[in-house]
Amino acid sequence: MVEFRLPRNSRITGGKHFPAPAGAGKVKTFKVYRYDPDSGQNPRWDTYDVDTSQCGPMVLDVLIHIKNTMDPTLTFRRSCREGICGSCAMNIAGRNTLACIHGHDECPGDKVAISPLPHMPVVKDLVPDLTLFYAQYASVEPWLHTETPEPQKEWRQSPEDREKLDGLYECILCACCSTSCPSYWWNQEKYLGPAALLHAYRWIIDSRDEATGERLDDLEDPFKLYRCHTIMNCAQVCPKGLNPAKAIAEVKKMLADRVV
Amino acid sequence: MAAYEFIDHKFDVVVVGAGGSGLRAALGCAQAGLKTACVTKVFPTRSHTVAAQGGISASLGNMGEDDWRWHMYDTVKGSDWLGDQDAIEYLCRNAPAAVYELEHWGVPFSRTAEGKIYQRAFGGMTKNYGEAPIQRTCAAADRTGHAMLHTMYGQSLAHDTEFFIEYFALDLIMDEGVCRGVTAWKLDDGTLHRFQAQLVILATGGYGRAYFSATSAHTCTGDGGGMALRAGLPLQDMEFVQFHPTGIYGSGCLITEGARGEGGYLTNSEGERFMERYAPTVKDLAPRDMVSRAMTMEIREGRGVGPKKDHIFLHLDHLDPKILAERLPGISESAKIFAGVDVTKEPIPVLPTVHYNMGGIPTNFYSEVVTKAGKNPDQVVPGLMAVGEAACVSVHGANRLGSNSLIDLVVFGRSAALRAADTIKAGATQPELKPAMTDGHLARFDRFRNADGGTTTAALRLEMQMAMQEDAAVYRTSDALKSGVARMNAVNAKRPDLKVSDRSLVWNSDLMETLELDNLIGQALVTVTGAENRKESRGAHAHEDFPDRDDKTWMKHTLAWFDDATGKVKIDFRPVHDFTMTNEIAPFPPKARVY
Amino acid sequence: MGKPDFRTPMSRARGLGAAHHGAAEWLSNGLMAAALVPLTLWMVFAVLRLAQLDYYGAVQWIRSPVNVSLMVLTVVIAFAHMHHGMRVVIEDYVHQRLGKLGAVALSLFVSGLAGALTVFSILKVALGGA
Repeated sequence: MVEFRLPRNSRITGGKHFPAPAGAGKVKTFKVYRYDPDSGQNPRWDTYDVDTSQCGPMVLDVLIHIKNTMDPTLTFRRSCREGICGSCAMNIAGRNTLACIHGHDECPGDKVAISPLPHMPVVKDLVPDLTLFYAQYASVEPWLHTETPEPQKEWRQSPEDREKLDGLYECILCACCSTSCPSYWWNQEKYLGPAALLHAYRWIIDSRDEATGERLDDLEDPFKLYRCHTIMNCAQVCPKGLNPAKAIAEVKKMLADRVV
Repeated sequence: MAAYEFIDHKFDVVVVGAGGSGLRAALGCAQAGLKTACVTKVFPTRSHTVAAQGGISASLGNMGEDDWRWHMYDTVKGSDWLGDQDAIEYLCRNAPAAVYELEHWGVPFSRTAEGKIYQRAFGGMTKNYGEAPIQRTCAAADRTGHAMLHTMYGQSLAHDTEFFIEYFALDLIMDEGVCRGVTAWKLDDGTLHRFQAQLVILATGGYGRAYFSATSAHTCTGDGGGMALRAGLPLQDMEFVQFHPTGIYGSGCLITEGARGEGGYLTNSEGERFMERYAPTVKDLAPRDMVSRAMTMEIREGRGVGPKKDHIFLHLDHLDPKILAERLPGISESAKIFAGVDVTKEPIPVLPTVHYNMGGIPTNFYSEVVTKAGKNPDQVVPGLMAVGEAACVSVHGANRLGSNSLIDLVVFGRSAALRAADTIKAGATQPELKPAMTDGHLARFDRFRNADGGTTTAALRLEMQMAMQEDAAVYRTSDALKSGVARMNAVNAKRPDLKVSDRSLVWNSDLMETLELDNLIGQALVTVTGAENRKESRGAHAHEDFPDRDDKTWMKHTLAWFDDATGKVKIDFRPVHDFTMTNEIAPFPPKARVY
Repeated sequence: MGKPDFRTPMSRARGLGAAHHGAAEWLSNGLMAAALVPLTLWMVFAVLRLAQLDYYGAVQWIRSPVNVSLMVLTVVIAFAHMHHGMRVVIEDYVHQRLGKLGAVALSLFVSGLAGALTVFSILKVALGGA
């Protein structure tokens, strides 16, 4: 049965408070989810009063500032800091996004809650376990399938056919979409989720690919694909402005085209 | 010291790093039937190749006549004659096939009306040996690295590469000068692992984070370079650090050179297109070192823009918004987010920003790591290869041309795999590893894990970054470099005083950042020491007290060793390969580098 | 937290594989939903109409072949659609095998029974002696 409360050992307790240094400029409070697997204790909310005049404009800058100057134990993934690598996906003020391109000014309220991507196992602090998500991506066979002998040069593709990949290939696998999808929350063992389906469609619609039928076969399933109920959270949260729901709808349309 | 136990793995090949070159090498080794592991500290598609924007160079000739020899000439000239010409020949000859291979794997390149791969103009890329700019850089909009990396990761899922994701490599297992494997720390459960292999391929990328402001990701900490130094191996040409002319002012995020390739141009506070003065033939499409110097000069002479007159404008507002949306969508977005600028209406504020390390672990064009032993400057280190930004083949010499890095990744990733297939046998017996080979790794790991001094990792890192930023910049002087060496020695001396607050083993990012800092410090130190030592100006090394290139004394590669225990840097040299790989082309003799 | 799961992520992702159906159901569900739009509007019209008539007038109205057919069609599609919708909701939220099967069966039974009763009642009015 679907669970509407966190399991007992995952319930979040109150945590430590880190006050701003004396003489701080513009102070904003951040409430950050902390979980230390070694401690055997429940997760907690630590609060940090951050002098935002001392750090950059993005939430990632705030987290780095906290780590550098207030609490070096705070753990989160980050890499490119420009919204292309997809490492720092997390839930900020109730919304999945990339910390590196989400301004702390954009966060409503005077206490901003930051937690890991929802409904995923947490490894530590803001680091979720994404192995299932990655396996689902791999399961759609995200590579070009061809049988025709490869040409000496490139496969030709018209600019119009290439344009069909726009809005799809830009996905950075940050998992913001899948982990914002209620259908994925309740059925992540059986539903592929918006990110994997978007990638499936990216290869289905590639004019160079010769396995369109097999790809569609592998998706036609009441759970893998049709658990998408067009809730549209995926499109709403995608930090790259992509629309996985539309890609899923296109797959459904193609499958319907095979029937009638 | 706490008792640590290794979990053992045995492979034919272990690739460290899963960016463009690591994935290409791993893929090739797996295809050749070698049992291959790819160990990476981030999920493959998070590697910094993902951030490459403009494109990948290859003389496909899709936009008009082209020739790999022209590409080779441009690369030699771009390198300011410090590049090894045999390796450059290998690169440029094999570039077209490497790009077609990527296309066959599914990279969504932009297309011409004939359905061919679209190519754009890039800095320093010319036709007919320097006559005029040429369109040689194959592009997938302005997300070429992203498209490549995702495609290559997908492709490696189709092959038998075993990935070890979020494993942080600690040190090379060295056995009397032979590399036998690598040790790593698995972040998600805190276990330590010993990967034994006939061959280790380092594909760990650059160390841009040694500087305060870099386009590089936070994870670009040159861990392979750090490991090589600790293994007693030299790094080559580390003083050559490329500043990309167009990092966004403030955040340092990259705006691709492709922006200028599509017709963008730079202006100073007088609205002048000043590059016309510095490079009359190719103007804004001059190589990066020249553009960065020109910008710095304009700012110095009081013609910078903004309230502090400390940056330059990049104009794209004259371009057709349709072209911007089609070919430069990514940077349009970045400019909006990080500079608050609508590129169709306003110029982007930009500043030269640390971008790429031409230097690295010296290799030959088979990607085998070499060192200088006695009189032999090309002594191969058995069991060890390096590819990508971590390596110094050297195809980029003193200055890399834009879009030559992506082609470097795949061409030399492939060459490493081909060489591996030629030199090792799948499943061959490997000698037993002895604890003595890895005791030092554990001691270092434990020392940092329990470090309890008075200097936080963040504080020491900042001190290093500021020293490098201020003293090893676009323009260098003897005084600045002397000060840089002193400051970096001071940073190095503070390593024993580091403080780590987190003692856990699972995803201890405090410890990981400390280990990364340790890797950075050695490389920063050899960088600034090598720069101080090189009394000439060449490519990215612009020495104001020695403004001319001095081929007689300095047409040679710097080799720098770092003694981890004493903090001493030892410098020696290797000759530049001023000969080609085959008889089909003659080497290009040095001449003045004007555009 | 649940028990540790030692299956590989790929094994979990692939699960039972694809059922190779769903397109027809999706299509028919969409068609049913689309059909219910005019049918429901007609039903509203019918109820308003019936409310204006006395008993005999109402029976006469229902006996019209067009009206009885539309009414039966509306009821059949509505209950089928209801079962379909319930089934999706059950599959979303109920994960234990027995509970899920039981709930789906119950939905089918209730929808089927209610549908059958309604159709039978309509037909009884339509075909019964005046």
